[in-house]
Amino acid sequence: METIEQAIKENRAYYCLDCGKCTSVCPISWREPLFSPRTMVEATKLDTNGAVLHDGRLWMCLTCDRCTQICPSDVHFIDFVRDMRILARGASEEGHCSHGATIQTWMRMMADPSLKQNRLDWLTDDLITAEESDTVYFVGCLPHYEALFGKIGAQGVEIAQSAVRILNHLGIEPIVLADERCCGHDLYWEGESDTFRQLAALNTEMLRATGAKRLVTTCAECARTLKMDYDLGMEVMHMSQLLAQNESQLPNSISGKVTYHDPCRLGRHLGVYEQPRQVIAALGLEMAEMAHNRGRAVCCGTSAWTHCGPTAKSIQVERLREACAAGAETLVTTCVKCQIHFRCALDDPHLHDELNIEIKDLTTLVAEAMEVVSANG
Amino acid sequence: MSEPDSRIIVYTCNWSAYSGLETAGSQGLSYPANVHPIRVMCLGRLHPGLILKALELGAAGVLLLGCPPGECHYLFGNTRAEELFQQTLALARLLGISEKRLKLDSLASGQGQHFVTLVRQFAEQAIGESRAAGQEVP
Ligand code: SF4
Ligand code: SF4
Repeated sequence: METIEQAIKENRAYYCLDCGKCTSVCPISWREPLFSPRTMVEATKLDTNGAVLHDGRLWMCLTCDRCTQICPSDVHFIDFVRDMRILARGASEEGHCSHGATIQTWMRMMADPSLKQNRLDWLTDDLITAEESDTVYFVGCLPHYEALFGKIGAQGVEIAQSAVRILNHLGIEPIVLADERCCGHDLYWEGESDTFRQLAALNTEMLRATGAKRLVTTCAECARTLKMDYDLGMEVMHMSQLLAQNESQLPNSISGKVTYHDPCRLGRHLGVYEQPRQVIAALGLEMAEMAHNRGRAVCCGTSAWTHCGPTAKSIQVERLREACAAGAETLVTTCVKCQIHFRCALDDPHLHDELNIEIKDLTTLVAEAMEVVSANG
Repeated sequence: MSEPDSRIIVYTCNWSAYSGLETAGSQGLSYPANVHPIRVMCLGRLHPGLILKALELGAAGVLLLGCPPGECHYLFGNTRAEELFQQTLALARLLGISEKRLKLDSLASGQGQHFVTLVRQFAEQAIGESRAAGQEVP
């Protein structure tokens, strides 16, 4: 990505009709009147001196894809934003991470090819993995998120352990890479394309060398990135898709009323809406849909750990209110980041009484249901 | 001239630890030139990211020096520092970085000689460890 002109052309920004449908469905615009995907597109086309690259609003977009889906003129807004961020970085701009850039820093450290990591401590003896297999389990940054967000109760390691347990239950002994890198999703969407490419090259080489035919991941963002932004030459699927394929092997063992939050990457980006719901139903749980579900689901409020603040919080709280209004006892999601963002919102002592809901990852929920069966069995 | 991969970052809090450094200076005590102190108001305002960033940029080690237990100027900064240091250690472990390249310690105010001893000991340990790991010079 070299010029603004290129970002406009490649992402169909010239086709914008100035209709404003995008702005009307944007969760950021609902709260920040000065943010509008429509005006961002228009301002870029009128801009002759590159001022848009220095406009901080460029970093507010969640790349949630709500706008793109409704655009009558097929303007690729999220890709346009990503390309503009690449250019803005070239002009020494960047978004602000609310966690002291901890997350971006570990991602950049992983781009070092000589790094010898220690990332498999969570693999306990009862979990069976293999050197050779048709299936790779791609862990992503789950252990890292637990290290950073364990204090708000984030499930990270537990998701990874549950994943291998489930795979074993399905008769699969997966390969798990000792030196896997972050998939680079956040850097990709934040326009740090060089580091993204370095991570992608390292992962691609290791993954291809396994000879596996299929990659399973428990993270919505890894799934999107490895499927759409990598060229792995193997099938990439989210755990929920694999579970739905093996629905008959799921235990109908738990009860309760849950709702499902569609992560933007698994939902709008990959079009996976029904499989997680199928799995929830197969476990015996009652589904209470939120008003905004599937393609209309609202993002968990923050993307790529950037620009967190009152707007993000307000999106999260409204989403949790929606879940409570649906009558759900638990909000289930399939993305570790959604889980962390909702837990963070719940951590507010002023909201404790009002938002009485649990947050759970689908993978851990399934593993728990399997344990219920083996405990009773 | 110190080699780039032998840089040691020392985050000091503004109160006890930094006063130790100033005392060392006023007493004419010397510490290695590869030690780069960075003063923050309180260690509790650090973040794992700021510690990892130093390692990302090639530092051999990061030492955090704050107030002795119970003497934090802001009452709870010590506890916060301990918490974020533990988070950093966990992340460093995942990244394959030896825990000997990180340290959290305290210094009572005015302890110039002790400051010099602490940084010398830590620098030796961290540099030895990062060389052993064959850390590349960025
Ligand atoms: S919805 Fe599409 S055509 Fe309409 S203003 Fe937005 S980008 Fe332009
Ligand atoms: S991608 Fe989402 S946050 Fe960004 S402009 Fe579109 S609707 Fe708004």
